Amino acid sequence: MFNQLKARFGSGLAVGVIGMIAIWIIGMVVLPQLLMVDYSFRPNLLPVDIGGPKDIYTLANYNTLFTNEIHLKIFFKTIWSSVLVTSITLLVSYPIAFYLAKVATPQKAALCLVLLIIPFWINEILRTFSWYIILAYKGPLNALLLSLGFIQRPIRFLSGDGGVLIGMVYAYILFMIFPIYNAIESLDSNQVKAARSLGAGWIRTHWRVVIPHAKPGIATGCIMTFMLAAGSYAVPSILGSPGSRWFTQIIYNWFFEGGDWNQGAAYAFLLLIICIGFIALVMRIFKVGLGDIAK
Amino acid sequence: MKSETIMRLGVRFYIGVFFLYLFTPLIIMGLATFNNSRFPTISPWKGATLKWFKALAQDDQMWHALWISVVVAIGVLLVAVPIGICCALFLSTVQGKGKTLLYAIMMSPLLTPGVIIGISTLIFWKRFSVTGGIMLTVIAQTTFIAAYVMLMVLARLQRFDRTLENAALSLGATQWQAFRRILLPYLKPAIISAAGIAFLQSFENYNTTLFVKGYDTTLTVYIASKVRTGLTPAVNALGLVMISITVIFAIVYEVKRRREQSIKS
Amino acid sequence: MDSSVHLDNVVMEFGDFTAIQKTDLKIESGEFFSFLGPSGCGKTTILNMISGFLDPTQGDVKIGGQSMHGVPANKRPTSMIFQNLALFPLMTVAENIEFGLEVRGVSKGERKKASDRLLELVALEGSAAKKVTELSGGQRQRIAIARALAVEPQVLLLDEPLSALDLKLRQHMRTELKEIQRKTGITFIYITHDQGEALTMSDRVGVMSAGRLQQVADPITLYRDPQTSFVASFVGENNSIVGKVLSINNGIAEMDCGPLGHLCGRVQGAVKIGDQATVFIRPEHLRLSAEENMLTIPSVIEEVNFEGSYLTLNANTQAGSNLAIQLESRQYSENLMKGANVSLSYNVEDAIILGESAHV
Repeated sequence: MFNQLKARFGSGLAVGVIGMIAIWIIGMVVLPQLLMVDYSFRPNLLPVDIGGPKDIYTLANYNTLFTNEIHLKIFFKTIWSSVLVTSITLLVSYPIAFYLAKVATPQKAALCLVLLIIPFWINEILRTFSWYIILAYKGPLNALLLSLGFIQRPIRFLSGDGGVLIGMVYAYILFMIFPIYNAIESLDSNQVKAARSLGAGWIRTHWRVVIPHAKPGIATGCIMTFMLAAGSYAVPSILGSPGSRWFTQIIYNWFFEGGDWNQGAAYAFLLLIICIGFIALVMRIFKVGLGDIAK
Repeated sequence: MKSETIMRLGVRFYIGVFFLYLFTPLIIMGLATFNNSRFPTISPWKGATLKWFKALAQDDQMWHALWISVVVAIGVLLVAVPIGICCALFLSTVQGKGKTLLYAIMMSPLLTPGVIIGISTLIFWKRFSVTGGIMLTVIAQTTFIAAYVMLMVLARLQRFDRTLENAALSLGATQWQAFRRILLPYLKPAIISAAGIAFLQSFENYNTTLFVKGYDTTLTVYIASKVRTGLTPAVNALGLVMISITVIFAIVYEVKRRREQSIKS
Repeated sequence: MDSSVHLDNVVMEFGDFTAIQKTDLKIESGEFFSFLGPSGCGKTTILNMISGFLDPTQGDVKIGGQSMHGVPANKRPTSMIFQNLALFPLMTVAENIEFGLEVRGVSKGERKKASDRLLELVALEGSAAKKVTELSGGQRQRIAIARALAVEPQVLLLDEPLSALDLKLRQHMRTELKEIQRKTGITFIYITHDQGEALTMSDRVGVMSAGRLQQVADPITLYRDPQTSFVASFVGENNSIVGKVLSINNGIAEMDCGPLGHLCGRVQGAVKIGDQATVFIRPEHLRLSAEENMLTIPSVIEEVNFEGSYLTLNANTQAGSNLAIQLESRQYSENLMKGANVSLSYNVEDAIILGESAHV
């Protein structure tokens, strides 16, 4: 590998390139992750005991989760809700992505893309906060529904998981639309026309022609959305209530309130495993490789 | 024909509702800034005011957090951009076994939840007695922002014609001269875009920063804490200012990108 | 100055694959030399060995008598014109031309002088400040030449530089390249798969096939006296008929070609009585009449094609094989139509007989 770099860039630059990559991959990507895993298998000890006889590998930190009913419930709720967020986002995004890629005129599509990108540039906290204003008990949505006579009393949107789900769909929708849009755009429009002229209805055309082509984009979108949802801290902490905590919030609490980093590391590693598992599952369902996932 | 018309209307309606959904929250937040109410809301409307901008300007903590955000973002820019460029150069040059694995590792920070990147960085550096603060924030953010830079630079690098480098060598240039005079100018637009994205990503990051910030609160973390505790429309004012800046930034960026594209074609 | 190029018993292997079999060739100082061959024959590999982008597995490349072993591309007295030209798109015309001097640390004034002189040579004065993207195909071609000449190379390497141009321009550029070579006196090494280019411009041509140099000769010799059956059929059109050698007299062999009877031709290389051999007859050497002191082959016309200045005919011999015939347009007559019986004849001196050993 070094020889190929040296042949192209000369030895000085090749050493620089390898050095930078090594610092990043070893020092920032791989070792910290490994150390986190290592940490998660050790008990939380006082500094004097570290390296001593009590410093042994144990599954105790993982056991905590499976014996704590509340944590376990939140753990599974986080996974389930993230799947739900991913599915809703996919359903909402697909028609938009298809419209932009194949239906809209180029000028219209260009305008829509700029409009889509603008919220994408805006801070996740602020985007979520705006939903907090809308969904508040005395907020504009309740005011609107009341004045239209749809409801008699304001709804507490923010007391359950509903607000969190709405906020997440809103926050991550662009991570779904763009990969699907890119994938559908590369589909030859004549294929859609051909399917139609062969007598396929709209649903069949999408199912047999467009969706198979857009698979890598759909897979990327689902992976990104799930990962962002499951790992979100901002949205549940702003739109959630004490009764609708997210797994990330429990992890945070282990670190900064419980002061038990080892315990927190174990929970974090479980979250990571769930995300890796989801990636593997999606890649399997859609039969795509890791190379297809890069945008 | 009839069903086609209904279909078309349906699509229009859907697109309309979608963009309404996309922009209403931002508009409402903007409007709430000017409401003379103790809480950020637009209902009931208690008259227009600019006092929340004044309150914001007098918020020293906010200015301090802004300063820290800028320092962190510049730090990330200086570290993540060179790393990302190096990775892209590496991936576009090297062939052979192990490349796929390395590529997967380089991509992994993008597929890892931000909180986990923060946590692993925190734990790793504890070993060297480094606690949360500006430095750890820069390191943790660089971990995944470098991967963004890599992808952006790589996308342009893949369209590079390597015979240009051979041409430079054949004309007597050293490898460094060929890199400096031929490849780097070619990559410049991608590097500038990547630097912009890196800055913004750093500035807006919350999930990762939360774990490694120590006592150095960045602006995004500050806003989040304000949102959860001391809720006044001053937060909206700050949001509105940030949104305005990002929108201007986004439009400038888009216009520039489009112009470049149209020149090319 | 000695700017000869000597491929001193070079061999190039990529793993198990031998791209260039042992080759020994000396290209003279100031010569216009072409490597001609189909794609994949190894001609680009040869160019890359001379330019320094590849090191031969065995043997050595010598330029001006100096061994180039271990000398990288940027330190060799060569410069290259690439197939896609590889002009630097972000630089102006002048910056492109001056690049080679700039990296050598030549002062700005000197560089400007050089680029002005070269722009004049390629008849593009006044284009110095233009972007290379603003130029037409032919103009870009000339800038590539000027850029390569700016570093005053001893040897100019050209990798099919005309292949992207349209026919008219290509023919024009042939003359221009030849002219530039004459003016500068630099050794030109040109590779191409287009025999027209190779034959019109070169002092000598090396025909390559499957990593082997088949024959090196001046264009006329190459066409008249091919040494191998590959050269006979690759350079120009040729009809080939297989047979057995019956007798050899004064360099003329008589062959038994089965149903086609006995055919004669000039012997090239080693052929013995009793050998299997092939007789090559070019389409333009076949006549449509039974003439005395010429060999005749009775045939039936299959196809007549009018191609402007000449006619091509396809005739079926009694043996069931096809022969291509080329006539001048004025020889056209109403009788030339499908199904007509004709007698094909040729001059014995114009036919070539190559033995088995030439079958490489």
